[in-house]
Amino acid sequence: MAVIEAEHLSKRFGKKVLAVDDVSFGIEPGTITGFLGPNGAGKTTTLRMIVDLVRPTAGTVRVLGGRYRDLTHPTTRVGALLDASGFHPGRSGLNALRVVSRAAGIGYDRVDSALEMVELSGVAGRAVKGYSTGMKQRLALACALLGDPEVLLLDEPANGLDPEGMKWLRGFLRAQAAEGRTVLISSHVLAEIEQTVDRVLIISKGRLLAQGPIAQLAAGAAAVVRVRSPQAQKLEELLLQKGAGVNRLETALAIRGPSSAEVGELAHANDIVLHELLSEQPSLEDLFLQIAGTRRES
Amino acid sequence: MSDLIRAEFLKLRSTRTALGLFIAALVASVLPAALVMSLVPHDMLSDGGATIAASGLTLVPILAVVFGILGMTNEYRHGTITYTYLATPRRGIVIVVKLVCYGIVGTAVMAATALLVVLTIALIAALRDIALPWLTASNVSDLETLRDAGMFLLTTGLMTAFGVSLGALFRAQVPTVAGTVIWALAAESIIALVKPRLGIYLPFAAFQQLTMGGALRTGEADAIMSSLTRPEAFLVAIAYISVFSVAAVFISMRRDVT
Repeated sequence: MAVIEAEHLSKRFGKKVLAVDDVSFGIEPGTITGFLGPNGAGKTTTLRMIVDLVRPTAGTVRVLGGRYRDLTHPTTRVGALLDASGFHPGRSGLNALRVVSRAAGIGYDRVDSALEMVELSGVAGRAVKGYSTGMKQRLALACALLGDPEVLLLDEPANGLDPEGMKWLRGFLRAQAAEGRTVLISSHVLAEIEQTVDRVLIISKGRLLAQGPIAQLAAGAAAVVRVRSPQAQKLEELLLQKGAGVNRLETALAIRGPSSAEVGELAHANDIVLHELLSEQPSLEDLFLQIAGTRRES
Repeated sequence: MSDLIRAEFLKLRSTRTALGLFIAALVASVLPAALVMSLVPHDMLSDGGATIAASGLTLVPILAVVFGILGMTNEYRHGTITYTYLATPRRGIVIVVKLVCYGIVGTAVMAATALLVVLTIALIAALRDIALPWLTASNVSDLETLRDAGMFLLTTGLMTAFGVSLGALFRAQVPTVAGTVIWALAAESIIALVKPRLGIYLPFAAFQQLTMGGALRTGEADAIMSSLTRPEAFLVAIAYISVFSVAAVFISMRRDVT
């Protein structure tokens, strides 16, 4: 049984904004699922609908077999990081967590262990207004972990983290997966979670474009051909004429569509010098661009 | 429910909002009381003028309304409402607990402030050798006086809860505080002047009439305006709080937290 199950979920704000449009997906237990899409794609709205903060206009969403609001002590079942700035600036980090733990019926001992887990014990007595963005992000993560939940919903957890923090987050997510937790993590910076997730949901403009294991989606996607050439602009024009997808940065090209052999032959036929030609399996970012681009065209 | 109540009191203890209310109440009431008792001539105070020294207390219920508004709107302003509703998705319970807790704190602040005002007046009166008949032991323990004092505390508690319901309804902090203060201090007076019969049924007029037991008994109120009896004023006040609280719960349950 899926831990999170959304069926034909839609959310409209006012008459003009359709934030989420007929989205259906299931999250299997013990998996880390990346919820990917650009800013404004509908990721946050979907996550907030899962925990009953936003009411769907249509469709249903169940978590652990029912509605979030019907769960007994919900924060001990589902932990959510949705708003890293959602703390009173004058309240200490320790008290911010104590307020939530008290309301959720969770003992203060969990506050201490959650603070230790996110490495904030040393500054827990300080007012939140003195925290950096990364520290607030960790505090929000501690808040999600308070109830030792079996499901974690993390909305852009890497926001504000420095490279060291990013590395810490990846280790943290791996540890959560090793403990058998189910994690749904949203991000618009695809590279940051590529090494961590098992499956992805790709959303753009409110519509779910693809879902499944990364390997399965990558298998169906074309490889990216990377080229370095002093005549990159001329090659780009030729490739575009042939309908290829091309991104150029000075003398470097990333090409989607034709194979490396086809690109090499096209360059040779037009007397274009190549300094580099290689075929790469698509990164998560390439995959996203391909899927989003394909759907946009159709 | 008890966990939620304790969480609400922890919220109040861990920020300066409640302390701010208390300090504002002291500045509005104890300070003027001390100044009046220290500076006004002896004979004017002996003639009952000392009651004027305690008049700053009438501002405390208005401060309590603002405190109630801040208690609710701060949740939206700082985004803490997300964690509040994640911990307790039954939003109606959250609002009801807030109404009760803030009502209790408003009442407690009023009680402490009133006590300090009376102590300040008594102390300065003793130092200046001023006899204050209304402060004699028999008068203070008089049943009517105690009832008036109790009604004053109850009204402050109700007004604090009223503030919470206003905050839950309107969410936006500055417009809600500004609108409420303008309504309480100006708009209702204008309406009462134009339509006196309607004026006595307005919310802050009802709250004020609840605290006017002494004036009603002595007939002073009749000279000011025709008033509701205390039970009528109580019913009107409760009706306002009930309607606004139910509306606050109803809207909070349906409102998206984005």
